[in-house]
Amino acid sequence: MTWHVAEEDLRAYAQGELAAPMLWSADTHLVACARCRAVLAEVGDPVGLDAGWERLDAELDAPRTGVFEKLLVRLGVADHTARLLAATPVLRRSWLGAVVVVLGMSVIAAHTVRTAHSPTLFLALAPLLPLAGVALSYGPALDPTYEMAVVAPVHGFKLLMIRTVAVLAAGFGLSGLATLALPGYGLGALAWLLPALALTATGLALTARLGPVLAPSLVGGAWVALLLAAKASGASDDGTLMPFTAPGQGVAAAVAALAGGLLFLVRDRFDRFQGSAE
Amino acid sequence: MTPTVSASGLSLRYGGTHALDDVSLRLTQGVTGLLGPNGAGKTTLLRVLATAVPADRGAFTAFGHDPATAAGRQEVRRRLGYLPQTPGFHPDFTAFEFVDYVAVLKELTDRGARHREVRRVLDEVDLGDVRGKRIKKLSGGMRQRVALAAALVGDPGFLVLDEPTVGLDPEQRMRFRELIAQAGEGRTVLLSTHQTEDVAMLCHRVLVMAGGRIRFDGTPPELTARAAGRVWSSTERDPGAKAGWRTGTGSFRNVGDPPDGADLLEPTLEDGYLLTLDGAEVAA
Repeated sequence: MTWHVAEEDLRAYAQGELAAPMLWSADTHLVACARCRAVLAEVGDPVGLDAGWERLDAELDAPRTGVFEKLLVRLGVADHTARLLAATPVLRRSWLGAVVVVLGMSVIAAHTVRTAHSPTLFLALAPLLPLAGVALSYGPALDPTYEMAVVAPVHGFKLLMIRTVAVLAAGFGLSGLATLALPGYGLGALAWLLPALALTATGLALTARLGPVLAPSLVGGAWVALLLAAKASGASDDGTLMPFTAPGQGVAAAVAALAGGLLFLVRDRFDRFQGSAE
Repeated sequence: MTPTVSASGLSLRYGGTHALDDVSLRLTQGVTGLLGPNGAGKTTLLRVLATAVPADRGAFTAFGHDPATAAGRQEVRRRLGYLPQTPGFHPDFTAFEFVDYVAVLKELTDRGARHREVRRVLDEVDLGDVRGKRIKKLSGGMRQRVALAAALVGDPGFLVLDEPTVGLDPEQRMRFRELIAQAGEGRTVLLSTHQTEDVAMLCHRVLVMAGGRIRFDGTPPELTARAAGRVWSSTERDPGAKAGWRTGTGSFRNVGDPPDGADLLEPTLEDGYLLTLDGAEVAA
């Protein structure tokens, strides 16, 4: 045995106060280590110890969790929240892979066809990815357990927010990494961030009224139309489209804040079924 | 007996269609069957009672709580088990992981207690041995039992089951009926079904829906009694019958208003149901 559970942790374990993931390490270790079991017997009261063995028995009996879920717990996410996130349809390799491909291609395009002071294609696509990701993480069409989830005591808005934060974290992380691959553009390469927040918040706020398919589709379409209109009306002196200039960023921040407020006001709508009746 | 669920005047329109039209009911402990053809409004009624969809008009309470308020809705949901018509699964989840996920949705956050509860319900539906198997590798009947286990997590007092026996072979259906009967002990269960056999074998009470309205509310023997003296046998299909079909013996079984001297037969629940529907169609 190369390591042993600290006596302090064993005391917490005996009292049922040791938290995951240390709890899991202790569980696994105690099965194989007679020395730590002996220490545990000394520091724990018999009743607490029995409860501990019962819990250990249950842990060993439970099936192993997936890599993604384990990673979330290691990152400090509570195990029940990790289980909710593991059921989020878009937090899967296929979706994340598609995001990486889109970002990779737009980064390559920015390096290959350098016509302006901002990587326009990358900035145009990056805000759409979290919008699509959040839209795909919720709703009767894409979440197979949606109908069971909507009648559960956990509020639909809370579930939506947990998934949204996770999808945004994953999407922003990947887009952030892609931004690092565009050092020549300086801070201009980060001009996707506020539009991404604005589109995602607006898409969610409108979902409460228009449903999980139409709302993000309209918002995505409006973003593309805005970019085309900006291109038609002429870019700034350095070739940057209006939404990626300082005033454009200000508008995006204001839209994000307004949509966030609206979303909070309509939060109860996410507590009801959004789909056809029969 | 004090009703678990009490509804009055529930109405809901989708476009120009009355999905629910002035539905009133009281549900008590035991299994209540909800019979009706496709489009009768069964699923809509179940979704309203499961708090998934609000009614346009009318009100209902469950366990004394009003789901029209956010707090009341949460209280009802804490006591609710719901098995939708087409329960969806995350196919990569094992049976254990899926039921565990539903347990988290039902606010069971303590890992140890939650896992004990998941094992309990999986054992209750006889899936203890396959709890580590991926759902996509389970048979249709087993998947349906996984969904029932998910509905039973947290020991809910009110169970809403939407056509749980559809698509199951006869053996699986029998097994599932046993499980529903078991789940109905000490609980209020509302069971939507197309199968009159489900009602005959499981239910202490039956509701018949058609056109968004409740057309019958009584016991299975009372529904059967509606067909007393209105079922007869003939060698050819009787054109005056409201419905007629050839039986295994080759003769025709007719329901409706029998001609004089007809060879009357003992009515079944199905006969009573058909006659009730026929009346509903006439009324509609």
